[in-house]
Amino acid sequence: MGIGALHVARTGLDAQNFRMQVIANNLANVNTTGFKRDRANFETLAYQAMLTPGAPSSSQNLYAVGFNLGTGVQMTGTARIDLPGTVSTTGNGLDVAIEGAGFFQVEMPDGRIGYTRAGNFSLSAEGTIVTPDGMPIQPQIQIPDGASAIAIAADGTVSAAVPGQAEAVALGQIETARFVNPSGLQAIGNNLLVETAASGAPQVGAAGIEGRGTLRSGALESSNVNVVEELVDMIETQRAYEVNSKMIQAADEMMRNASQNL
Amino acid sequence: MDRLIYTSLTALRGAQARQTATANNLANVSTPGFRAELAEAQALWLRGPQVDGRAVTSEEVIGADMRAGTVISTGRDLDIAIEGNALLGVQTPNGEEAYTKRGDLQLAESGLLTTGDGHPVLGTQGPVILPPADSLRIDREGRVWIVPQGGDPQLPQEVAKLKLASPVGSPVLKGLDGLFRVPDGGILPEDLEARVKSGALEGSNVNATLALTEMIEASRSWDVQLKMIGDARDLDAATAELMQLPQ
Repeated sequence: MGIGALHVARTGLDAQNFRMQVIANNLANVNTTGFKRDRANFETLAYQAMLTPGAPSSSQNLYAVGFNLGTGVQMTGTARIDLPGTVSTTGNGLDVAIEGAGFFQVEMPDGRIGYTRAGNFSLSAEGTIVTPDGMPIQPQIQIPDGASAIAIAADGTVSAAVPGQAEAVALGQIETARFVNPSGLQAIGNNLLVETAASGAPQVGAAGIEGRGTLRSGALESSNVNVVEELVDMIETQRAYEVNSKMIQAADEMMRNASQNL
Repeated sequence: MDRLIYTSLTALRGAQARQTATANNLANVSTPGFRAELAEAQALWLRGPQVDGRAVTSEEVIGADMRAGTVISTGRDLDIAIEGNALLGVQTPNGEEAYTKRGDLQLAESGLLTTGDGHPVLGTQGPVILPPADSLRIDREGRVWIVPQGGDPQLPQEVAKLKLASPVGSPVLKGLDGLFRVPDGGILPEDLEARVKSGALEGSNVNATLALTEMIEASRSWDVQLKMIGDARDLDAATAELMQLPQ
């Protein structure tokens, strides 16, 4: 079990290594619109029972305490921290931030619906409102040729001034989706999340009702990554990695000593 | 042949077990609510017709260090730090009641509230299952308040109260799953004075400096025992030499 200590310490190194990757990803996405930071989750691995509490220690007595050796730690996953990011004004009419709960719906190339908090939209060549990757938002909203002064209201109504008409014309309504357990959504990259069994079914509707947040056009939600917090986590991870590598060194020296001296 | 080497062997085994326990503490330096294990050696005297000159040792993990870990603020609604020595009640897979300090709660698809390692959280009325909610809050006394779906945000409803148990005066042991239990299957009484802090998480209480010291100590004790075995071997060789018939 000198070897045991070696393997236990290795699980610690592995877990801290994954955690560092999570922190690196948070830091890399510090300027990604609508990005939510992840936190690494750890749990202890199984224990080995060397001696069960309650087992007889003599004909009259029972062991009052057990002798259980832990076998280390593992990272069980990441939890997305859904705190809102800072909303900053951009002045661009097609930039939309959600103030409160909810996600924009985007049609992905495979036909599935992706959910995103990033509202940095633009127009495609055909006049459809799309994400920077060119995926149309759902329900699709078409801006006619020559339209100007596109405005998005708090409830998601999109209107624009169309040539030949005196008043602004309503062109559609952006709907948002909210989930019972938004942390259950799975991140798939490209700022998109997809529904899973854990997130529950989306509750789609107009912004601002049934608990969905209102929309603010001309603004963007930045990432909720706090650089200082990540740097502190990074130092902590590094230290934890160090103590575990010290342990590996110590266990190795024990074994070397044994193999040389016995 | 001298049996000294067998006595030293028990000490080697002890140092190994102690090193594994320390390695496990160090590996869990980032596990929320983890309680460090304490290892201790015990001398087992062998009584015989001759002098009581020999004791083998038996190394044991005698329990867990119940000191509080550092509380860090996370801002997440479902993270709770349980203040003082109170423990949070959870359900084990076979339906028993066990306790933990782990407060990174998760909401499963069914509305079941679990700890970060997947054990259902117990309320005073059994496992906590939450109806679909717009918002959720855990107050200082461990009561869970929700605003039901489509409900008035000004009128939250209390749906459950977490079981915060008091370990004062009861023996509590750490089991193979890392959860604490009352040894004979009993349950701990509710602690009405217990307070929780939401938006914060209690970390592991592993003291890295202390663990590193223990690591060095276990390493040195291992080395000393190896030396002892080496000496026993030399003694044995010397005896064998003495007993050899002259050529």
